[in-house]
Amino acid sequence: MSLLEVRGLKVHFPIKKGLVLERTVGAVRAVDGVDLSVERGRTLGVVGESGCGKSTLGRAVLALEPVVEGTVVFDGQDLSQLKGADLRAMRKRMQMVFQDPLASLDPRQSVGSILSEPLRTHGEKGPHDRRVRELLDLVGLPTSALNRYPHEFSGGQRQRIGIARAIALNPELIIADEPVSALDVSIQAQVVNLLEELQERLGLTYLVIAHDLAVVRHISDDVAVMYLGSVVEVASSDDLYAAPLHPYTIALLSAIPIPDPEVEDRRERVLLRGDLPSASDPPSGCRFHTRCPFRQPTRCDDEVPALRVLDAFPGHQVACHFAEQVHSGELQPAITTATTAV
Amino acid sequence: MRRTTEQRSAPAGARPDAVPGATTGRGGSVPLLKVRDLTVTFGSRGRSDVRAVDGVSLDVFAGQTVGIVGESGSGKSVTSLAALGLLGKRGVTVTGSVEFEGDDLLTMPDDELRALRGRDVAMVFQDPMSALNPVLTVGRQITEILTRHRDMDRREAKQEAARLLDSVGIADATRRLTSFPHQLSGGMRQRVMIAMALACSPRLLIADEPTTALDVTISAQILELLRTLVSDTQTALVMITHDLGVVAGLCDQVHVMYSGRIVESAPRKVLFADPAHPYTHGLLASVPRLDQPRGTPLQPIPGSPSDTLPWSRGCAFAPRCSRQVDECLGGPPVLEPVAAQSHLLRCVNPVPLQGPPAAEGTP
Repeated sequence: MSLLEVRGLKVHFPIKKGLVLERTVGAVRAVDGVDLSVERGRTLGVVGESGCGKSTLGRAVLALEPVVEGTVVFDGQDLSQLKGADLRAMRKRMQMVFQDPLASLDPRQSVGSILSEPLRTHGEKGPHDRRVRELLDLVGLPTSALNRYPHEFSGGQRQRIGIARAIALNPELIIADEPVSALDVSIQAQVVNLLEELQERLGLTYLVIAHDLAVVRHISDDVAVMYLGSVVEVASSDDLYAAPLHPYTIALLSAIPIPDPEVEDRRERVLLRGDLPSASDPPSGCRFHTRCPFRQPTRCDDEVPALRVLDAFPGHQVACHFAEQVHSGELQPAITTATTAV
Repeated sequence: MRRTTEQRSAPAGARPDAVPGATTGRGGSVPLLKVRDLTVTFGSRGRSDVRAVDGVSLDVFAGQTVGIVGESGSGKSVTSLAALGLLGKRGVTVTGSVEFEGDDLLTMPDDELRALRGRDVAMVFQDPMSALNPVLTVGRQITEILTRHRDMDRREAKQEAARLLDSVGIADATRRLTSFPHQLSGGMRQRVMIAMALACSPRLLIADEPTTALDVTISAQILELLRTLVSDTQTALVMITHDLGVVAGLCDQVHVMYSGRIVESAPRKVLFADPAHPYTHGLLASVPRLDQPRGTPLQPIPGSPSDTLPWSRGCAFAPRCSRQVDECLGGPPVLEPVAAQSHLLRCVNPVPLQGPPAAEGTP
């Protein structure tokens, strides 16, 4: 059984109007019907552009956002049924690593205090000295870091502190929200390698949320691509990159520059028109139809595509009416490398 | 900005640096922008001076796209700001020369420089939200340039502004002129910035991380726009970025900066096929690539960009370098040609050319 099961998850943020008589006039559908599952010891990557709801999804999984509909089942227990002490006990088993390591570390707390805080909060018996030293060692920081403060460290080291804090309670699931995007290029690989090493040593399960597809592909076993609040494609990392089926995934992959001039010169780009539509008023039918280069009349505009498995690609789910035709080349993109109007 | 005439004290007998990009000009033509020995030092009371840019020389020719690659703190942005006289005056010392078509921008009187900026040389900044004025409409900000530099009246300027917005791919341009920056999406704001930069058809466009704040699909649109611009108008483009992928697809000549100096410089195909500096080599080995089989282990560069050595004592990259030898600490390495004349390198123990990358182990 999977460690984490997300079924039909919806997180909506109400839009309110009026000062005295406050009323709800609409909702931002940040996450709108997401199904996911993560097996124990594996890594699921969630990719998408900013505003697609991937961070909200991560927070909702940890019960940090109110869920409108759907369930999050962690190790057989529905989180929405848990309250108070039970929920707190459950939180011990799932932890988070944040994007900006400086903003997520208290500037007035020493590293020793930061790392022992989760232990204190969850009532672990002290003294915590030994565990804290062990944690520093796990993430490759010197013991001398104990009495120093976050500002004294470089970005990569700060992220190591954030990771050490997340693993302090021996969690099973770690949700990493853009763990490397705030770091310098030469440092990113250090943190990626550290995450992989810790997974191997501690048997962790990861949900990695990121916009950098190259990083996600490197670290994940499976990848889910999100667009405007819903998942459009799920597949194993290798399958997704070898044969992207959803037009959005195809465009996303072709938009990523590859550090090799020979490859760059030969590549054909599928460019998207315009920007992400507003999540408070998502397009009808397939949400991607306003920007889709493969859009077909009426069906794409009217009918919401469901996640389905194509016969030729077992284990590869895609939410597109015309995935077969797109893959076979029967449908051609309306625009390729030419510069396009919004 | 204080300008000192004294040259940087070079150690006696030291060879001078070669000038990157100087050999790539077309048919011996004169470079549009000629930067020589540009040094920027920030000083503040009670602290030791910080030399952000340290003797940078480079040439940019018309129609050429030049990439400056480096991590945060490598001096890539300060180089461009200093070249255009956009650094504050207090506590900043700029030496060297920046010639634009023969005129030194650093000694030019302020009013002449103001006339030149925006007209002949334009800049696109990284964060369009903080570079655009939040209390003026987009139209007002574009027409300002047109009335200032192209002597248009307001009606003409308005029409021209709409045409510019249209040319960078903003739909419904006339209506958008009345929008404020906060009403636009990130990609549209960056397009507005580019439209402003293009308003006077500049001969040199400096783009400082123009796509870093944007999503990949939007960033691909912007890069495509810059690419067409360069090929259609023969504008010279200086692209400042930390993303090697962007450079690979766009730039003719690439300069890699580390700790204020150019450490390697080559035409893009040479640089990516044969990175000779351990830093360039390390950068390429540390980023995961979409077109490589999964499971290729990443080789990070140890340490962080702040672990540097002052250049006067040796190679600034030495503390992080896996190929460090004793000579690395014996004074500043010189930028000199390797193999091809167009490939310059500042390293005493470079990665062997076309050699097996196996020598690159992480300590």
